[in-house]
Amino acid sequence: MTTVLDRAAPPAARLHRDRRRWAWALAGVVLVGWALAGSGLFSGPVLNPAGAGQAGRFLSAALRPELDGGFLRVVAGSTLVTLAYAVLGAGLAVLLGALAAVPVSRTAWGGRRTGWLLTRGVLALPRGLHEAVWGLLLVNVLGLDPWVGVLAIAAPYGAITAKVFADLLDEVPRGSYDALLAAGAGRGTAALYGLLPAASGGLLSYSFYRLECAVRSAVVLGLIGAGGLGYQLALSFTSLRWEQVWTTVYALALLCLLADVGGRAVRRRVAAPRRTGYRRDPLPAGAVLAVVAGVGWALWYLALSPAALVSARTREQLAYLGSAAWPPAVDGELLGDVWSTALDALRMSVLAIAFAAAGAVALAALAARPHGPAGPVRRTAGALTRLALLLLRAVPPPVWALVLLFVLLPGVLPGALALGVYTLGVLGRLVGEAVEEADRRPAEALRAMGSSPVGRWLYGSAPALAGPVLALSLYRWEVAIRDTVLVGLLGAGGIGVLLSARTSAFDWPAVTTVLAAIVLLTFLVDLVSDRARAALR
Amino acid sequence: MRGPAAARSGGLDPGSAPLPLLRRIAALLLVAVLAGCGSTSPAAGSTDDPGPLRIGAIPDQDPEVLQRLHGTVADSLSTALDLDVEYVPVTDYAAAVSLFRTGDLDLVWFGGLTGVQARLQTPGAVPIAQRDIDEDFHSVFVVNAGTGLAPSDDLTPLGDLRFTYGSETSTSGRLMPAYFLAEQGVDPEGFPGGPGFSGSHDATLSLVASGSYQAGVLNEQVYESRAAAGEIDPAVVRYARTPAYHDYHWLLGPRAVERFGADLPDRLTGYFTGLSADVPADAEVLELFGAGSFVPTEAANYDQIEQIGRDLGLVN
Amino acid sequence: MAAGERVAVVGASGAGKSTLLNVLNGAVTPAAGQVRVLGRDPTALRGRELRRLRARTGTVHQHLELTGALRVVHNVNAGRLGSWPASRAAWSLLRPQDPGTVRDALGRVGLADRMYERTDRLSGGQRQRVALARLLVQQPDLVLADEPASALDPALADLALGLLGDLATGRGGALLACLHDPALALRHCDRVVGLAAGRVVLDAPARSLTVVELERFYGVTR
Repeated sequence: MTTVLDRAAPPAARLHRDRRRWAWALAGVVLVGWALAGSGLFSGPVLNPAGAGQAGRFLSAALRPELDGGFLRVVAGSTLVTLAYAVLGAGLAVLLGALAAVPVSRTAWGGRRTGWLLTRGVLALPRGLHEAVWGLLLVNVLGLDPWVGVLAIAAPYGAITAKVFADLLDEVPRGSYDALLAAGAGRGTAALYGLLPAASGGLLSYSFYRLECAVRSAVVLGLIGAGGLGYQLALSFTSLRWEQVWTTVYALALLCLLADVGGRAVRRRVAAPRRTGYRRDPLPAGAVLAVVAGVGWALWYLALSPAALVSARTREQLAYLGSAAWPPAVDGELLGDVWSTALDALRMSVLAIAFAAAGAVALAALAARPHGPAGPVRRTAGALTRLALLLLRAVPPPVWALVLLFVLLPGVLPGALALGVYTLGVLGRLVGEAVEEADRRPAEALRAMGSSPVGRWLYGSAPALAGPVLALSLYRWEVAIRDTVLVGLLGAGGIGVLLSARTSAFDWPAVTTVLAAIVLLTFLVDLVSDRARAALR
Repeated sequence: MRGPAAARSGGLDPGSAPLPLLRRIAALLLVAVLAGCGSTSPAAGSTDDPGPLRIGAIPDQDPEVLQRLHGTVADSLSTALDLDVEYVPVTDYAAAVSLFRTGDLDLVWFGGLTGVQARLQTPGAVPIAQRDIDEDFHSVFVVNAGTGLAPSDDLTPLGDLRFTYGSETSTSGRLMPAYFLAEQGVDPEGFPGGPGFSGSHDATLSLVASGSYQAGVLNEQVYESRAAAGEIDPAVVRYARTPAYHDYHWLLGPRAVERFGADLPDRLTGYFTGLSADVPADAEVLELFGAGSFVPTEAANYDQIEQIGRDLGLVN
Repeated sequence: MAAGERVAVVGASGAGKSTLLNVLNGAVTPAAGQVRVLGRDPTALRGRELRRLRARTGTVHQHLELTGALRVVHNVNAGRLGSWPASRAAWSLLRPQDPGTVRDALGRVGLADRMYERTDRLSGGQRQRVALARLLVQQPDLVLADEPASALDPALADLALGLLGDLATGRGGALLACLHDPALALRHCDRVVGLAAGRVVLDAPARSLTVVELERFYGVTR
């Protein structure tokens, strides 16, 4: 009994390599090679072992954080400020994102591609600048107003949220929407009944994810003077009081952890809703209520007054900044500097992502919560890995940059590694979650067939995870290129150094040029990353 | 908070509005402000309530001590001048300059260069006082012991070393050292791999101690206080001391003079120069600033700094 | 079960059919009772020994546990992971090993032309046939099949069960298949075991049963 069916013998199948994927893979390898070559790794020593003592002081202080009562009170108060900024910033971002999502969705533009591309291009501006850069600009317009911190988070986050929300809306099955339109409903009503319910889970999940990110951003803003934990951290950091630095890092880690746990609970529940009959599920509803209450509290706590946004002084300062910053400087020397530092920033971001992705993959099996029962050793190792990742992302990149500068010689490498270590904290967690959520059945089936663990990993787990891991890494690459500004602001190389130099000299025309270059660079990286992800699908 | 509301209500004529909708929203929001939930606005132009005098300091030396003990200065000043004084924390040099320009800070403890930047951006700003040591301020060049360099006045060997400054707009950690390096024919930007900017005097000391940077420069006052506390790593060698220059000073913004009266500059100068190490409350303030006493100062003291700043592209 | 025997397990949903298969392939350890698979107790074995036993047991699952992101050829070759060293398994992902055998196996399920396609681009029925091809390549002594024909049209379902039966009995092994379709069970199996609430309630030679009798067992009334 061989071929039973009398179907025409098909032409013999041949092995095609997917050219597009191979081209992307090759380009990726070349890019990492180029970044490595530019890092000085092959052209001379990069390590400075003599600085191990200095770095050791930072690490050992982790075990003896400052626990003085007065300092703890300061930290507690600052934690509340950071929380208030995060809640308001993320809340405003979600609001702005939801409003902007409709005009930037493909659904709204139908076949008119130009209009859609244009609106997406408009979003590139707020998205291309890091929160810290927004903070820097806003301080010059709004002064010490708490709006600075809120808007600095809300502007880039709002743009990112709008893009993600629009994508979510576009990906929702269109059947019921089209049916409603055909039945004579208006577009708005049709979207409300046909698109929104299906998309709401994704929208809610993403909103909570943004809240988690906003906590870390609020700290970065504190570094440039917007108050809160970041401010305390900056003060202790400038005088290298590592014990105090760690206390603030722990407070931040705790805040991150709370946001992580809360967000995770909501996402889980949204992904697998519990049957509650006609009554609402208390968890997501409660979480939304808690956030709304939190926004109310934060408004009161920060004494945010909308009047400041439209005050005469704000207009005056805006006019001052506008006239000082326009037209942008275009002298050859500046443009040359922009070009070379932009290349450095690109190198840093590529190295950072390569490092973080490799680390995240290596740690993924440990970072993922074990499926089913696990021994105490495995559970402890997993908890320690997750704690380490939490701390990696709780220590802001500028601090990592200085600590790494103790043990590495100056150049692109310390900045790149600082970003890499921080990104590893974020990516390690995301990859760990991808492992937890991955389909286990293929690997289980292979086990039942007697496959070795390596075989199971090669044929069952790895192929299924490769796509999500690459997509997450590419997505973090977009974030990392923005973050290079952050380590640059504290002098670790890249275009951020140039931005820092020009802002501290109040050379506004040059600042305009540098900012334009950063937006362009981010936009290009976004574009490449987007194409690469499409090729991977 | 009737002051700010009254001041702003003049701009609410819809006929003159370039953005009528925004104006209308503003009008609605003003109701909320009048209802009492608005925050204090530094832009207050009314004379019946000038609001507090907002003071601040660039985060230069021991910032965490200075900023966390700010109550000391604010209280002392408040008692002496019978004013409402509020200390505003700032972590960034450039932010301090910007906040002085926007009027969020009335009286700021600036470094030489940041003071010049702030004064040029804020017409009407006046220098109030400086410390006794600021008339005769120095920076010290430090090298890592591994370089084998012995203390000397010759700065040229530094040109071949990996070198870090402190903050980019620090007078003692960047500007004046760069000037003295250039005087001896060393390109202040020409160090191998470009100069680093550690961000603070303490970070400079640590980086030079680690050897990542072989040499650096910092504020002599910070160096001396760390040396006295025995906190300097044996790997750090004091290499050279710069000639003297003017550095830190208190700068007063024009809006404060409008609000508190034309005699404010004189009252402030009087307060600072009157601080005496013999009075316990005063001594606390002086110690916080590491000063024996405060002395008057004038804009001309910083002309050299302004010139060097222009040459280095740090003043526009 | 005797060597060369083809047994159909029938029963309503939730009767314990899948659990039985999972116990036999060692995925689930029973709370009580004894298990003997190919003369050995899977619960008593560890490591290499257990893997060797498992390599002799082939399972086709209800949910088709194929790796969607891999090409068909790799999913079929995965049937040999129990005998391949890790290095060969890794190299095969770059340069498929022994493509002749794979092509042959795919040919027998009518999918030779899809050999290099990504598995998640195939339809449900095609994927089920890829799983069969994997089994053909694995050459197990005991074949455990959980609804192997559920996504196939009648002609293909006959083909599939025929293949499984040949595979098992041709080498002196055995086939244990959970089936929903009484006609298929009677046509392709020698013996029918009925389960209800985890207990054996029927055990008879296929020849002694009719389709109508079996349908009654599933709860169908006419």
